[in-house]
Amino acid sequence: MKSSIGLNNILQFLLFVALQILLMDNLVLYSTGFCYIYVAFLLFLPININRLLLLFLGFLVGFTVDIFYDTMGIHAAASVLMAFLRPLLLNLLTPRDGYDISDSVNIHKMGKGWFLAYTFTLLLIHHAAVFFLERISFDDVLQTLLKIVLSVLFTGVVIIILQLLFFSPKRTSRA
Amino acid sequence: MRNLFAFIYRFRAFLVFVLLEVLCVFLIVRYNTYQGAAFFNSANKYVGEVLEFQSGITDYFRLANVNSTLARENAVLRQELLQYRRASLIDSTSNLDTTFFAVTDTLKAYPFVLHAGRVINNSVRRTNNTLTLAVGTADGVEPGMGVIASNGVVGRIKTVSKNYSTATSLLHSQMLISAKIKKNNTMGTIKWAGGDYRTALLDYVPLHVKLAKGDTVVTSGFNTVFPEGIMVGTISSVAKEPDKSFFTIKVKLAVDFAQLSYVYVVDNRKTAEREKLEQNAGILPNEE
Repeated sequence: MKSSIGLNNILQFLLFVALQILLMDNLVLYSTGFCYIYVAFLLFLPININRLLLLFLGFLVGFTVDIFYDTMGIHAAASVLMAFLRPLLLNLLTPRDGYDISDSVNIHKMGKGWFLAYTFTLLLIHHAAVFFLERISFDDVLQTLLKIVLSVLFTGVVIIILQLLFFSPKRTSRA
Repeated sequence: MRNLFAFIYRFRAFLVFVLLEVLCVFLIVRYNTYQGAAFFNSANKYVGEVLEFQSGITDYFRLANVNSTLARENAVLRQELLQYRRASLIDSTSNLDTTFFAVTDTLKAYPFVLHAGRVINNSVRRTNNTLTLAVGTADGVEPGMGVIASNGVVGRIKTVSKNYSTATSLLHSQMLISAKIKKNNTMGTIKWAGGDYRTALLDYVPLHVKLAKGDTVVTSGFNTVFPEGIMVGTISSVAKEPDKSFFTIKVKLAVDFAQLSYVYVVDNRKTAEREKLEQNAGILPNEE
């Protein structure tokens, strides 16, 4: 099982952050559906990655987006939370006979059920953190919840499209 | 001691997680309350360059709009200029003997200077919206200055670097602007409640005031940020709620924030003097 980050992941970092800042910033559905595609970088990291490294990478990617969004700390906090919970969720979702050497976060390799459960749970955690930190208070909860649900669906669909388009069934990972 | 290290080592992931989260919360709190010295924001040089590159491309798609806005502004300015010319032809007091009239009326010297700036980053759909402008300290912009567009109020400068600055948009949950209703000078406070970026609320207008749909709301000039009489918007609906002592007024904003391309930063040359006077007199500014 690949556990260190390679050139692939660095490229993905640049690609997803650029996509987030240059394109997705302008793409908002009905003022409620946001696409935080940079999260895909954290989702697609190797399954067996060091937990500490994952936390720092989470902080790094969130902080980068924060700088461009002028929302100091919000995306970083949500990404670190997601990075912390990712290994726990991966444990919960372990297949019957453990993870394989060649396993990676790939919709063809791990199956649709596993991939959807993994992606949408982590997206829900991340987006909920972002939108509640943005509001700080709990007033207007319905509006916030609507934002969370729509945004999770939006980001999730984009991530699935990315997987189907760019991640081949044969090779382990390709950006 | 060894047990302690063993403990720390065992829970290292959790401890690092807690540390990073504390750092994030610290950043959130500090950045939201503390004006000024924030280095990591879109006024940063490199970030500004990326944003400028992006807006360099997207601006092409808005050229037609920018042109028509500028042409309209030119027309208005020309009209005003004509009025002044006519007035100066009729009014000849300035030609009279200076012994009878004080020639230099200091109030007439307009204390506001405008710095034009290009908007290179803008948002309208978040809870707290901000702008990034391609003007900075090199052009004389400082934190706390007001930002207006040709058709109305936009926001307030938050941080400045050499060539870039960030501004808090009117569409920010913590932004308050002192305003008044033009026809009867009733004071109120403009606040954006989130949601639709074309409407804001006008708070603290007492129930005895007579209002009508379509009334114009302008800045009050009671603080040093904006000059008096800058357009904010027009009243789009007025409601009396049974348990409140103020009207609930919705204002249709004059500025279309989604279309902003060029704005002016208002440099009030007399801010320091006025603020010092008010501070010495023990008067707190009515806005933060």
